Amino acid sequence: MTNPFRAHIRQSLANEALQIALDANAERRVHGRIAAFASLPDWKDRRNQAHAIRADVIEHLDRYLETFIFNARNNGITVHRAKDAAEAINIFTNIIRARHDAPVLIAKSKSMVSEELDLNRALESKGIRVVETDLGEYIVQLRGEKPAHIITPAVHLRRQEVGQLFHEKLSEPYTEDIPTLVNAARRVLREVFLTADIGVSGVNFGIADTGGICIVTNEGNGRMVTTLPPVHIALMGMERLVRNFDDLAIMLSLLPRSATGQKLSVYTQIIHQPLDGQQRHILLLDNGRTRLRSSPLKESLYCIRCGSCLNACPVFREIGGHAYVGKNGALSPYSGPIGSVISAGLFGSNFIPLAQASSLCGACKDACPVDIDLPKLLTRVRAGQSPLSTSPSSPHGLSTLSTIFLRIYGRVATHPKLFAISQRFAALGTRLVSPFSAMVRLPAFTGWGYSKDLPRFASKPFRAQFHRREVKTARKLEKIIRKTVESIPETPISNSRTEQFITELTAVGGHLTRTSANELTEKVIELLKSRDVNHIHLEPNVLDENALQQAGITVSHASNPATRVGVTKALCGVADTGSVLEADGEGGKIHASLLPELHIAVLHKSDILPSLIDALPLTRQKKSTVVITGPSRTGDIEMSLTIGVHGPSEVHVFLVDDSNSQ
Amino acid sequence: MVDIFHRLGIAVDFVPDQTCCGQPNFNAGLRTEARAIAQHTIRVFEKTTGDIVMPSGSCAHMIKHNYPELFADDPAWLARAQDLGKRVFEFTEYLVDYLGIIDVGAQWNGTLTYHPSCHISRGMHIDRQPRALLANVRGARIVDLPHAEECCGFGGIFSIEHPELSAEWLKRKVSNLEMSGAPTLVVAEAGCLMHLAGGLHRQKKQQRVIHIAEVLANRGGKQ
Repeated sequence: MTNPFRAHIRQSLANEALQIALDANAERRVHGRIAAFASLPDWKDRRNQAHAIRADVIEHLDRYLETFIFNARNNGITVHRAKDAAEAINIFTNIIRARHDAPVLIAKSKSMVSEELDLNRALESKGIRVVETDLGEYIVQLRGEKPAHIITPAVHLRRQEVGQLFHEKLSEPYTEDIPTLVNAARRVLREVFLTADIGVSGVNFGIADTGGICIVTNEGNGRMVTTLPPVHIALMGMERLVRNFDDLAIMLSLLPRSATGQKLSVYTQIIHQPLDGQQRHILLLDNGRTRLRSSPLKESLYCIRCGSCLNACPVFREIGGHAYVGKNGALSPYSGPIGSVISAGLFGSNFIPLAQASSLCGACKDACPVDIDLPKLLTRVRAGQSPLSTSPSSPHGLSTLSTIFLRIYGRVATHPKLFAISQRFAALGTRLVSPFSAMVRLPAFTGWGYSKDLPRFASKPFRAQFHRREVKTARKLEKIIRKTVESIPETPISNSRTEQFITELTAVGGHLTRTSANELTEKVIELLKSRDVNHIHLEPNVLDENALQQAGITVSHASNPATRVGVTKALCGVADTGSVLEADGEGGKIHASLLPELHIAVLHKSDILPSLIDALPLTRQKKSTVVITGPSRTGDIEMSLTIGVHGPSEVHVFLVDDSNSQ
Repeated sequence: MVDIFHRLGIAVDFVPDQTCCGQPNFNAGLRTEARAIAQHTIRVFEKTTGDIVMPSGSCAHMIKHNYPELFADDPAWLARAQDLGKRVFEFTEYLVDYLGIIDVGAQWNGTLTYHPSCHISRGMHIDRQPRALLANVRGARIVDLPHAEECCGFGGIFSIEHPELSAEWLKRKVSNLEMSGAPTLVVAEAGCLMHLAGGLHRQKKQQRVIHIAEVLANRGGKQ
């Protein structure tokens, strides 16, 4: 019987380009994560807190869901619940049909839940065009593939393959230059954002207390699909809740660090209501989660889908996300250690053998930001404890030979005499096979013999050597109190909040100009002149419009895709991440920080808050908010950092010192 | 290990009825068999007193961490398993944390490097203990093993179920060993020991792998 999973493993190992790509992913991501956590001295406490938060949410999921749905509906969001993929697709179709009879274009940002539904195929079969807008997702969609990694969908590809793909599918001149490739995708997808009828996004966290949703992205496509189209549908696994803003702040301190090694992703959106004239839906999907929750794999629902267990896993590093196939050859959307745990429970016993592909080395547990005991869960899947584990033929996902061997071993190991005799026989056996060497060369089909020899068993085992000799009286030994050496990385804390803000903003590639209130407009004009800009999208009451006019700069208070510069007043700054908080409001201001290539944020020094946890409550009264941390960026091609994808390629903060008026 | 304890004046006994802790079956998912072996192990050691020291970290891990999982819904056996777990120590943990000894008077003329086995370092957070013991071996130069934290590819039945994956990691471990420059790799785990010894032999490498007890028991400075 051929095992498609093992066939995929062999294919992956033989694919040299894939091996290079996966090695690069593992090394960059693991180092990135470790470096990012060095700036969070109390990360161990936070990890414990995060575990406790998720445990509480999953324990009382029904209650929190009820609160979340109640609050979201009060906020004007339509909430749907789907038991399975079929129901979800139906709900989707109904939303679409209620508005449109004509062909529909859907712009979609990343959602792993949509992969569970096989949403694109289902909608396309109904004549609805779906375009993936995350760069990595877009690339795999053009190739007719599925994402190979939760966070980095095109992790398996190298720049040459992307260059060739864009050449064939988009008629772009062949290039291996990553910024040129990113720019090509930006151009094509900008058109999609502006004309889409419906935007579809995933959800990183729902906030039970406020009914809000949090979406974390780097490229800006998430903001586009939740802001521009007249309808936004947010797809959410029903377990992805936190209780309140405090929980959210903890999660957001761990998620980006674990996923991409960032202190905060570029765009952290907190959305509470539809925008004016917009329809917003949340679709909560069960699809086996209730089943998982009442199984011994419950802890797997704590997962926040950061992908760090994939990056840390030596198996994933060898085979990549496209090798995680079940016995029927179907690919699971979830790969890596977490995928090997949940796939069987969510999608069927076909996927049980995935759990056998682990040495239980525990690198995944160490990397998990919510401290899920993945090795333990893997052994539970192997023990046939996943909820759909009904396949009588192979409940453990083990080969027949191994099963027989272990069953016999199990018998022998409960009978000491038999065990002792077997040791002798094994020793004799290996000695007969290999009389002249201490090592036995076994054939490859045995598994062991594939890459190593077998040390000959001792002809006189330890049990035979050990004589229960007269024991000497034990000398009294002082027990020494154990000294725990816990190295806590030191982080220099900036002496002032402003200094810290500036340091962090600069670190993420943002620019800064300090100014007094009087000189603000003058300094902005200076920057605009240096860029030959004579038209801006301006939030009302932020700059002196007369002065702008005199300088020959025209101003618009509505969004226009052609406008190169947007100017807003930030609600606040966040010192420890160098972020600014922007919200919807008069004059299409949420667009002003999204569509133009240069975003100018005016920030008052007194509005700089220490940390995200202080800023989150400000999002409550707004329809849609976003914490912006630097210019938009992607690492989706070979993890090479490229600045400027869908959102602005430049963020310039004018820091207004209002403490004195010189 | 016995020699070292005798040298320290500690009485050692070996219960002949002991067999295996049941880890191979547990890890593979065969819990019925694993439970039977675990019950046998618990019964055998209940007849003894004193601390139980294991020269193979994953076995200690099995008893301390996986026995409670095995008997989660059997309160009587769970209690017995937990009582046994309290008496179980990994060898280097016992020397350093329990006895407070980091110098056992060993000598080894040569360069050594240490592979932190997964169940010892990540499973039980025991890492500074073996390193402290090695650092105090006279004559030995201890060098870092690059990417030491990576699994060697054993993983019990895994190495038989997925020989291709196991082979890749083994290859990487061996090449990291070569990179370290040390002729001798030290481990505190029987599984890794068997796996790495077999791998080094198959690849016809000069380097060898030994158990940490062998280093610590040595006084003559051989290498």
